[in-house]
Amino acid sequence: MTAATLNTEGQSPKKIQLNTRYMFLIGLIVVASVGFSIANPNFFSIANIGILLRSISVLFLLSMGMTFIMLTGGIDLSVGSNVAFAGGVGVVVLTSTGIPVLGFAAALIAAMAIGFINGFFIGKLKLSAFMVTLATMALARGLALVIYDADSINVTNTTFLWLGGTSIGNFPIVIPFVALVFAALCVVLYKTAYGRDVYAVGSNINTAFLMGRQADRTVVSVYVLTGLLVGIAAIITVGRVSSGQPWAGLYLEFDAITAVILGGTSLFGGRGKLFGTILGVLLYGIIINGLILTGTNPYLQSLIKGLILLGVVLIDTISQRRSAQ
Amino acid sequence: MTNAARLFRENNIIFVTLACCLVFFLISPRFASLDNMSAISRQIVPIGLIALGQFFVVVSGNIDLSMGMASVFFSIVLGVFFGMTGGVAWGIVAVIAGSVAMGVFNGTLVAKLKLPAFIVTLSTLFMATGLSGLIIPRGQQIFLIGPFFRYIGAEKYFGIYASFLFLAALFILAYVVYNHTRIGSYIIAIGNNEENAKLSGINVNAVKIGIFAFSGLCSGLAGIILSARMGFVQPGLDGNGLLMDGIAAIIIGGTLILGGRGTIGGAFWGLIFIGVINNSLNLLNVEDVWHLVFKGVVIIAALAMNWVLWESRQVQTH
Repeated sequence: MTAATLNTEGQSPKKIQLNTRYMFLIGLIVVASVGFSIANPNFFSIANIGILLRSISVLFLLSMGMTFIMLTGGIDLSVGSNVAFAGGVGVVVLTSTGIPVLGFAAALIAAMAIGFINGFFIGKLKLSAFMVTLATMALARGLALVIYDADSINVTNTTFLWLGGTSIGNFPIVIPFVALVFAALCVVLYKTAYGRDVYAVGSNINTAFLMGRQADRTVVSVYVLTGLLVGIAAIITVGRVSSGQPWAGLYLEFDAITAVILGGTSLFGGRGKLFGTILGVLLYGIIINGLILTGTNPYLQSLIKGLILLGVVLIDTISQRRSAQ
Repeated sequence: MTNAARLFRENNIIFVTLACCLVFFLISPRFASLDNMSAISRQIVPIGLIALGQFFVVVSGNIDLSMGMASVFFSIVLGVFFGMTGGVAWGIVAVIAGSVAMGVFNGTLVAKLKLPAFIVTLSTLFMATGLSGLIIPRGQQIFLIGPFFRYIGAEKYFGIYASFLFLAALFILAYVVYNHTRIGSYIIAIGNNEENAKLSGINVNAVKIGIFAFSGLCSGLAGIILSARMGFVQPGLDGNGLLMDGIAAIIIGGTLILGGRGTIGGAFWGLIFIGVINNSLNLLNVEDVWHLVFKGVVIIAALAMNWVLWESRQVQTH
């Protein structure tokens, strides 16, 4: 029995459900875009679309990682703090050596180290993902504050800023880069045995174990993979503002979780798709960006985030119950 | 297992807390002064309220992420009423009614609609954060001065802060309810296996809604105490730090985050431990930037210790 037959046999009603969900999300994205462009004619300018896509590229990378983690039934609260920590390590190594490659490597390694700590405690010791990543959320933010001594550091090295800061005309180069990352992750998740392991672990960790899969290694690896994506996100974050900030990525983990849930990935593992996460991130990003562009009070944005999250989960549950009857 | 080992395993948090106290005392003798002890007792009251409310939620197998920002929100509600009426009576009524209503809202969505508590309370966290900034004019603070706030913030009986006595009384009440009434065993049963709990005739929905109503109430009370201690209210207060301290306290005290296991005594000692750590970081002049690093390490160490002591090989969820 291969995993491919598993997918086609048992899941066709679920597949239809997911497709309706994607149509619904696309509809909401269109409605939100039209609404905001009426409220502010600048919303649909090429320049703003570039800014919008660039500003959500970080959230996008974190949400991709979060999708893998949530497919295994886990959660990662540390990603936002980790953006600040990895950025800090990268910037400090860059400013002390002056070699951008070392800065990149340091940022990626730092982020993956936090990811490995998460993965080790969650995958090997079977501790609660919520608690472990709550601890590393504090740890990474604390380390970021220590590294920066609670102050931001300006970065002038053009190579280090290239990924996050460069645009060709109005078109930020980070967009094709993120698209490339997405394509690579799709291949990993849908075309490899590893990807099937991720789904298997989330569907039932014991069955995956019985099938001879190394469930604990898969769990460790998704946290390290997320660490890698966080490291890239950290480099983009530094590039966007030309400086390293100790409070970068604050509460971004909640935004990423919200976007992934909007995209239809289950909090309990085993169900969801990367494509859904793209739609979730787009919808969330358009709404937040639109609110900022129309000058909405930031506290009202927070209230709206809460209402969106609750609204979508409610609609989800009700529609699932309808289709189950 | 020998008796000594069992004694350590079941009461490890007490030994660890006392050992930490001894170390801090040796480094800085000022730690054990009466003034400092009563300062700790006052600092831990808001964290203690969060921990107590969260305890029942966690034992039932759920989580309430909204508690920290909700207490900031309710401190502002009290401040806004105080600013309008000049008194506290209506403000307190509003806070208690509002916080219980919020808890019932969370609980109903979790119990009746079977939504994950994590998502429901994450969305109320967002909403509480938003409303905090919307009900108070932007960038403003409201100062709270008057006999009521002085009483909550500074009144002492027999040299002990009234607010700490209040917290201690709540813990004793919670101990009695948890250990000596059926409600306690219902909560544990739900945390262990909700289906079985339902089959054995427990009204699971009512218990769950009650638990969230209580955690909501605790956030409201923490908001009142917070406002009195600070002397002013503003939306920028670090409510999520409060939430993290509260969760850390009960987990360090041996509560299983997946539900079904935990003791009030453990939660209380975990709270003392967090209070001692917070206090000592300040007392030993540890730079602010290091505080979060210590907290992260302490939580990880506590998780690792519980793993070693209990060899907890529970299946992870979140």
